Amino acid sequence: MFIFNLKRSARDLFGHLILIGFPVVLIAFFNFIYTKSSIFSGIHGQSLPFLTVLTIGFALTFQIYGASLSFETIGSDFFSPMKDRLSASPGDLRMLVISILTTAAIVSFLQTLVVILFSVLILKAPLPMLHLVLPVMMLSIVFHQLLGSVIMLASGSVKTSNAILSTYGSVAPMLIGLYFPLPNTAFFSIVRNYSTPMALANTVIKGIIGNDTSRILSALIPLLAMTILLFLLMRPLIKKVAL
Amino acid sequence: MIIKMEDVMKRFGRNLALDSFNLEMSKGEVIGLLGPNGAGKTTCIRAIIGLIPVDDGDITVFGTHQNGKNRDIKRRIGYVTQELTIYEELSAQDNLAFFGSLYGLSKEQIAQKIPEVAQIIGLEGRLKEQTKHFSGGMKRRLNIGCALMHDPELIIMDEPTVGIDPQSRNFILEFVKRLASNGASILYTSHYIEEVEAVASKICIMDQGHTIASGTLPELIARIKGDSHILIDVRISSEEKLKELRAIPEIKEAALIDNRYHIVVPGGITVFDKIIAVLSGQTIVNVNSKQPNLEDVFLTLTGKQLRDEA
Repeated sequence: MFIFNLKRSARDLFGHLILIGFPVVLIAFFNFIYTKSSIFSGIHGQSLPFLTVLTIGFALTFQIYGASLSFETIGSDFFSPMKDRLSASPGDLRMLVISILTTAAIVSFLQTLVVILFSVLILKAPLPMLHLVLPVMMLSIVFHQLLGSVIMLASGSVKTSNAILSTYGSVAPMLIGLYFPLPNTAFFSIVRNYSTPMALANTVIKGIIGNDTSRILSALIPLLAMTILLFLLMRPLIKKVAL
Repeated sequence: MIIKMEDVMKRFGRNLALDSFNLEMSKGEVIGLLGPNGAGKTTCIRAIIGLIPVDDGDITVFGTHQNGKNRDIKRRIGYVTQELTIYEELSAQDNLAFFGSLYGLSKEQIAQKIPEVAQIIGLEGRLKEQTKHFSGGMKRRLNIGCALMHDPELIIMDEPTVGIDPQSRNFILEFVKRLASNGASILYTSHYIEEVEAVASKICIMDQGHTIASGTLPELIARIKGDSHILIDVRISSEEKLKELRAIPEIKEAALIDNRYHIVVPGGITVFDKIIAVLSGQTIVNVNSKQPNLEDVFLTLTGKQLRDEA
């Protein structure tokens, strides 16, 4: 089942092109414009190279759009005539959903890895502590894959999930100051660091790079808790569609 | 007994999809479930497979009560859906392998079955191609092949020829006949009379959720054998004239297809003068009478032309 779903997602070349190509182009583009500039990241006065901020920010942003990998596949299986064919079989359909989610998370992680490697190897982005950054990236991926699927299964509509995730994917990067700097006030500091799950993941990663344990924990714990909550929500929702 | 449905009721809101529906199917039988769109054919199939619970009555499949949860029943059924349910982004081989795995086939069994099924459905040599490049008929055949991977004891085909060219349709009909001659039990739904006539050993006519009649083709025709079927072709037909024809007490049924009035009159009754009187003023091109067929059975029993309904 895992290989089958891997093949299914591998066939979506256009999707991969968007989810890998876009962030790479955007990172290169913004880097070209602001070469050698440095911005204030807003975390305890720590200053990160702009390229590092861009790499983390765009990798996290496109993980949100990458959530469609799972919910669109689940939608095409369980909210279409295919559901009858699958339900008529003796196969364990919960395993099919889990396999779709797992495959989508792995594919999204590989996309993130390509984006990060491009930045590190080609653009020479300084990205220390990669061995700790990547697991956080994976956590963010799992969260967003679950989020998209929970919305889709709860609403019964791929369109609704797409609309919500697209809106979130457009707003969340702005709230961490990726597209333009946010005012340097206490309120905007909270918005930048904790307002969305993407902001939480961004804060954890910057905390890892800055070796700031309290900052890491302050964002990691809620992100982890929300991921577990979504995981728990998935169980009854899967049961609803995959009898 | 493979299938037994007793007084099955299924309601969707106010719509009664199955109304005291009864069906019996023995091993090796090919039952053609015939009815217009909306007659309840797909609901009947979904209830047999256990995809929907019924409101009342009882369904047993392979002698076991169908509650939708019995995996053993599911394992023994091959279901060909009305809509195409294949993964078009994948190859025919990947599709066959996936559905084989869903039915618990091992890798070795799948590897053995794929060429066998591909040959049956005429897709050998095309197995590695992405199915989105297939013609409509090839997709339909693959749709059937996916239901055959696990050698089901009962094959349920829900309008398997919808939307395909005559050549592919003939291929599928021949293929169903081959399956039947090999002893397969098949439940075949269609709103095409000629398809059901061609493949079924027993026919069940359903309309508005209940069984109108069932039996072999000769048995069904025998039910209306005493009736005369008069076909009158006119240059320009009229719904008003049809109403007037239906108002003649001696006429059992009357229908209009294009410019042809199809009139059913009980045997021995002379009513021709009344018919001519009604059709006066219309240019009659041809008058004919014919031996009843399944279409006539349907018309006589339901008062509808199946072709018009479909």
